[in-house]
Amino acid sequence: MAQAREEAGDSQLVSGREPPSRIIRVSLKTPQDCQEFMLAENSSIHHFKKQISKRLHCDTDRLVLIFTGKILRDQDILSQRGILDGTTVHLVVRTRVKGTQPGPGALPGPTGHCAHRSEPSTSESAGVLARLGRLAQGSPDLADLLGQLAQLLMVAPEAVVQLSEDPMVQGLVSEKLANASHVSESSKPVHKPELALKVLENLQNLAQSPELLQADKWGLEALKAVPGGDNATHPVCSDIQHLMLSTLASLAASKGHGPSSEPSRGGANPHSSTNTTTTIVPTAAAPARPLAQEVRAGVIAQVRGMVSNQANSGCRTGTSDLNSGQDLSSQESQQPIGKATPASQLRTSPSALCRALHVLQQNPALLRQLVTDSPLRHHMPLLPILTNPQALQALIQIEKGLQILSREVPGLGPCLWGPGRPHGARGAPETRGGGQGHRADPVQPTLAVLQLLRALAHACPQSTQSSLPSCPLADSCYQQELEHLKAMGFANRDANLQALVATGGDIHAAIERLLGVSEA
Amino acid sequence: MEPPNLYPVKLYVYDLSKGLARRLSPIMLGKQLEGIWHTSIVVHKDEFFFGSGGISSCPPGGTLLGPPDSVVDVGSTEVTEEIFLEYLSSLGESLFRGEAYNLFEHNCNTFSNEVAQFLTGRKIPSYITDLPSEVLSTKAMGPGLEQPKPQDQQVSAQRKQDKAIPPST
Repeated sequence: MAQAREEAGDSQLVSGREPPSRIIRVSLKTPQDCQEFMLAENSSIHHFKKQISKRLHCDTDRLVLIFTGKILRDQDILSQRGILDGTTVHLVVRTRVKGTQPGPGALPGPTGHCAHRSEPSTSESAGVLARLGRLAQGSPDLADLLGQLAQLLMVAPEAVVQLSEDPMVQGLVSEKLANASHVSESSKPVHKPELALKVLENLQNLAQSPELLQADKWGLEALKAVPGGDNATHPVCSDIQHLMLSTLASLAASKGHGPSSEPSRGGANPHSSTNTTTTIVPTAAAPARPLAQEVRAGVIAQVRGMVSNQANSGCRTGTSDLNSGQDLSSQESQQPIGKATPASQLRTSPSALCRALHVLQQNPALLRQLVTDSPLRHHMPLLPILTNPQALQALIQIEKGLQILSREVPGLGPCLWGPGRPHGARGAPETRGGGQGHRADPVQPTLAVLQLLRALAHACPQSTQSSLPSCPLADSCYQQELEHLKAMGFANRDANLQALVATGGDIHAAIERLLGVSEA
Repeated sequence: MEPPNLYPVKLYVYDLSKGLARRLSPIMLGKQLEGIWHTSIVVHKDEFFFGSGGISSCPPGGTLLGPPDSVVDVGSTEVTEEIFLEYLSSLGESLFRGEAYNLFEHNCNTFSNEVAQFLTGRKIPSYITDLPSEVLSTKAMGPGLEQPKPQDQQVSAQRKQDKAIPPST
């Protein structure tokens, strides 16, 4: 007792006046490592902290010691708190100022991770787009669908991916994230907004890509008259992107950052190279809702666990957020990343982002179509992808990635990832899938795709023909190859054709593609 | 001084096999497994878990797995949300990066265990943390589930498999 009195609040270990207290070995566990300290069992926490700060070279003020769930106060005595020989105390070193996370540099670390998606040119997409545009003009029924398709293609999956892989883009993203301002709200959703924002950034950069815009413009012009909803060509695509960005921002916003209504457009504009985006934003408000919703859902689905929940909750709760879609873009400019190392979170998921991008591309198109508020996420925009072999390729790769993903995280795999069988979608016919399997399940996209294909086919057979192979001659071009594949047992002619088109007639590659997809 | 706030810490346990493991494991593995457990820690009204994407969080029960199959009360903690998130971010940069994920050795349950100890000093139930070794020790599944990872892992699995082969069938 006497010694306790003397020891209390005293950082000096007094020995000799009373029976020497035992020296005990205490393990100090930090997230990084575990170290051992030899201390007297009746020394104070303050003393302990001093020792720690000496060894770790940091301020005692920043040290937080935790033992059996209790935060240790400076004036506590080790033995009083039950810290005995061989016990482990946890340490957290706080960053001095809340929110200023050094996040930045690590972000673009794995810039080329999604490199496997190196697919070619926006120009091809644009070409297809233009073709489809012309077709659309011939059939008003198709207009809408093709509009979606066009817009999807505008986002040009490959270009998106490519751009996202571009170190410059990554750099831009990281830079933006580095400048992120702190989020005052709870930093719980920290992971999600970070990811969302990163994707946002990517998209922004994409929007800035002249090449992409060029393609967009081209396709948009082709379809301009048809979709009827938009007058601008250029802005439409940037609009989509902008909307996606807004959606992502809303994603971030809805999760605790609180949609701070700001003059979003003003904020968002600098990010977007097209001035017309401003004007588009208001017009896009309406489609923004479902668009954002879907996009969010898509992004979330892609970004796996981190944001997966938001697909469920966010969509529902987020509708209101979407209303202020424009405001949300301000979120994006605001970079509400909050603390907790955006870097670490984002660094680990560049490929996830790529996937997110893919989904984003996929979603907006259909969203436009489904301007109805129904979050028919599963009625995914796979149609446009399917009609474009390049997009199809990207889709296949996405699916592969998703499969790998589902293998990696068994829990989330079966639940999250639907798209499993593209050729099932292509080849298999009748399933007007809407009714079937309306769970977010593997069958979903397939059925949805089928449905869309059906619709497309019915509406305009010729466009279907040219849509699917994306080259009217593909059929005859690859006649021989098709025969080969058929002889080998690949019964799905459509799938074969697609594979051939995608690989440019290379049978071996086509086979691999078919096999790769089928085993995925 | 005012008493510090105590925050409850729960462990959400999901059976990834949805009951199939309990039914089929005797046949497939030769031993009874009650489930394929995936766990997450719920504290401060958020669910935290570890996957190949790193540490993630969501509203409790908000993953696509739906509501947990069981909830284990781990205890209470004084650790505030702020401190906890800092801790998590440190973890996410060091021990629990996404690429560190290993289905057997360093998985979601490893993470839950780590966090539970940090928050409360207690570990999670052993039937969860013992699962990988249980599975690996069966001759049927061991090699099959082997991850294409470091050599030593495969070697050890092989050894386990060899040990597990019954002398007579």
